[in-house]
Amino acid sequence: MAGKSLSKTSTVAVAGIFVVLLMVAGCLGNEQATTPERITVTGSTTVLPIAEQAREAFEAQDASAEIMVSGGGSSVGVKAAGEGTAEIGMSSRDLKDAETTGYPDLVKHHIADDAILLIVNPANNVESLTLDQIRGIYNGTYTNWNQVSGSEAQIVVVGRDSASGTREFFSEFVMDGEDFVRTQEEFNSNGGIQQKVSQTPGAIGYAGLGYTEGVKALRLNVDGTDVEPTFQNITDGTYPVSRPLYMLTNGEPEGLTQRYIEFILSAEGQEIVASEDYIPLRG
Amino acid sequence: MAKGFSIRARCRNFRWPRDRGTPEISGPAAGAKRRFVDWAVSKLLFVGALAAIVTVFFIIAFLLRDGYQIVLETGLWNFLTGMEWNPTGRSPAYGVFPLITGTLLVMALAMVIAVPLSIGSAVFIAEIASPGMKSVIKPAIELLAGIPSVVYGFFGLILLTDWIRVAFDQPSGSSWLAGSILLAIMSIPTITSVAEDAISSVPREFKEASLALGATHWQTIRRVIVPGALSGISAAIILGMGRAIGETMAVLMVTGNAAVIPDPLYDVFSPVRTLTGTLGIEMGEVAFGSTHYHALFGVAVVLLFITLAINSAARVIITRIQGAQSIARSTPSGWVRAAIQRSTPYRAIAGTASRITHAVSAPFGRLVHPRTSQRCAFLLISLAVAIVIVILGVILFEIVVNGAGAITWEFLTGSPKDLGRAGGIFPAIVGTFYLVGGALAIALPLGIATAIYLIEYTADTQLTRGIRTAVDLLNGTPSIVFGLFGFAFLVLFLGFGVSLIAGQITLGLMILPTIIRTTEEALRSIPGSLREGSYALGATKWQTIWRVVLPPALPGILTGAILSIGRAAGETAPIMFTAAIFSSRFLPSSLTEPVMALPYHLFVLTTTVPGAATQSYGTAFVLLMLVLMIYLAAILVRRRYSPAKVM
Repeated sequence: MAGKSLSKTSTVAVAGIFVVLLMVAGCLGNEQATTPERITVTGSTTVLPIAEQAREAFEAQDASAEIMVSGGGSSVGVKAAGEGTAEIGMSSRDLKDAETTGYPDLVKHHIADDAILLIVNPANNVESLTLDQIRGIYNGTYTNWNQVSGSEAQIVVVGRDSASGTREFFSEFVMDGEDFVRTQEEFNSNGGIQQKVSQTPGAIGYAGLGYTEGVKALRLNVDGTDVEPTFQNITDGTYPVSRPLYMLTNGEPEGLTQRYIEFILSAEGQEIVASEDYIPLRG
Repeated sequence: MAKGFSIRARCRNFRWPRDRGTPEISGPAAGAKRRFVDWAVSKLLFVGALAAIVTVFFIIAFLLRDGYQIVLETGLWNFLTGMEWNPTGRSPAYGVFPLITGTLLVMALAMVIAVPLSIGSAVFIAEIASPGMKSVIKPAIELLAGIPSVVYGFFGLILLTDWIRVAFDQPSGSSWLAGSILLAIMSIPTITSVAEDAISSVPREFKEASLALGATHWQTIRRVIVPGALSGISAAIILGMGRAIGETMAVLMVTGNAAVIPDPLYDVFSPVRTLTGTLGIEMGEVAFGSTHYHALFGVAVVLLFITLAINSAARVIITRIQGAQSIARSTPSGWVRAAIQRSTPYRAIAGTASRITHAVSAPFGRLVHPRTSQRCAFLLISLAVAIVIVILGVILFEIVVNGAGAITWEFLTGSPKDLGRAGGIFPAIVGTFYLVGGALAIALPLGIATAIYLIEYTADTQLTRGIRTAVDLLNGTPSIVFGLFGFAFLVLFLGFGVSLIAGQITLGLMILPTIIRTTEEALRSIPGSLREGSYALGATKWQTIWRVVLPPALPGILTGAILSIGRAAGETAPIMFTAAIFSSRFLPSSLTEPVMALPYHLFVLTTTVPGAATQSYGTAFVLLMLVLMIYLAAILVRRRYSPAKVM
């Protein structure tokens, strides 16, 4: 019966796949002759590029180190560091009350700052806004660009999701705690916001310094003078919108964890921070 | 043996007298050994089924436990009917009503778009297309199902929303309409293939009789074939709705995610936010144990109840269509065949013809000549197929054109450097294989054991129906919920850490319902007469299952398994918190180490790494090729073996 031959063929096929997998596994095993010291770094996707680039540079210097970097979000970082499933948690926001009570031993290491830029579509003729105007746009007072000295076009308000550290900072610093307009479109990543703003003429959004391809960064009007969001201005604090990024450890770091965090805080590490368009620590 | 008999009594296609005595009668010594094997296997299967079922209920209980907290904190009524979702506002509000509305609106419009296109395509494939054409179009439409949802989201964000903005002159393209179109595209393959299955299994005699009476081909399709397949078609729509409602990653990239109810309610250009989108967008950053966290689990539970409501509604509808004597079966062609075999042809046609014909062919009234209406109908149906094929073409073209350029030897065999902007994705390819292989090793034995136990060893009781409902529920559970379960239970509670094994188990659980259902369906399609014959020759139950039932059911089981592989390979959400890392210097050497994986790599590249567009497209291309190859294998397996299938 035909059924029988097919069962054989497919058994062979399945077995073949497994053999291939095993062979691959075998090859991999050989690569690891020594057992390296190993740590896991997980959490905020905002901090991930720093951790990853620092890993590459650090491992080039220290052959026995193995650092594994993953994302997932700030809360994953806090939870993982607190529960001990990872040696280092990354967070782009401060700890919440529930978290400080749940994990009292967590130690915060401020490793860099992240600037927050207001971005609009390149076709938009608005070049600068005051903090009041930005607040007006985000709380729904202004709905058309002509209300903020632009041309006639509906404003499409784009922001981060309500769990985001970037939004939390934006909410405190720019919005003064006021609620966002309910029609705000939300994205869960800087890349999503950049993509959206770059293809929507009426859109305004906020994202990190690295996300300016295809969009126009607005100048911020501080007390009557326009401040360009250049690296220099952000670093010396003239452009006032930036927030801290953290690495978290459960208790004081030791061993490889300590060496890795020290590396990021070193001059070389801070150069990596700058090269990824984050703001190095001052002084 | 009472149990065995009740099963056999359930089997369809009896051609021999039913009661032919206890099948175990045979030689004494061999008989004892065989009876022992039989006994041992039935216990083993029972344990397998029990494990799978306990897991299913465990996940549901886990969701309910955390979701219940929000009811304690805000009150059930406030949670369900609250008009505002603003968890981080000055006064936090956790009202899910706009999210429920958003979910239902997006799903409803998606069905309005998908159902005519899918049923048109199904009719085309089953009735109109030549065999050569059929062998091209059917796999092509099914390939749509193989595209990972991150890729759909990527496509939707870049092309679809922009097209809507320009075409309809709207300020923003992220909208209800965009979400619905994307979900429609994603549910078309499901609806089409299940509906096509139903239409194809309408007995030839019906069609021949209708044509012999002088009806045109279109009249036959409209009045005889579609009504005969109606229950299967409704099942197809329900399955499509399930797919649409549980989708996370693609939807959240295109709907704009503003928690508002469109005003007016028919404003398809308004941004909306769905329940799954809320989970997908906020889960990664929310503080564990906070009210917001509990509210998100509440959202997951609401989603679960909506899935449950849809499933129950489906059961009611189908039971009504089939008449009082039939038992709701959980798979479509089972329903169809049962309907056809249990009711007389006249009854099936007369009972349903008027209802379905109005829905399917309202525009072609009696005023038009039958030939003309046939021409119009076939034109529209061909148009539906053309639209579907064009959509597939556009998506593939976009990814292939932009992605093929990134493919170099180094890209396929190297490790990522400079945040994935340089180097390759080899560890991610290998990691994906590891994850999928492990998931399969876990889900396949469990799922097949459960299905065999449910079909061959138990009667259709309240309990098995409850189990099937639970399996269906799990099938409609968004993948991100599995990710959460894996993280909370495997990674933290059991202490596996972020590891290969945690990811494999999570993915295994995610594909378990699919495997149980497809295996059940394959086993059901084996006629009872074959089992009867085997018993009559003195074979034991297990011998019958192993030698007679499983071989012809294998292609079906294999197709289900391969489709699951495709799904597991393309999912991001379940591995995001359990197994995936962005980078590692070495490939994993044990199950306790984390791995890289293609969908996660793509997700990070597109959302977090600026200036990696080429590598994103390249990764999407490799992922797509990988999943499509798996789907192609499934299609080839089925095409090769389906003639051998015992019908």
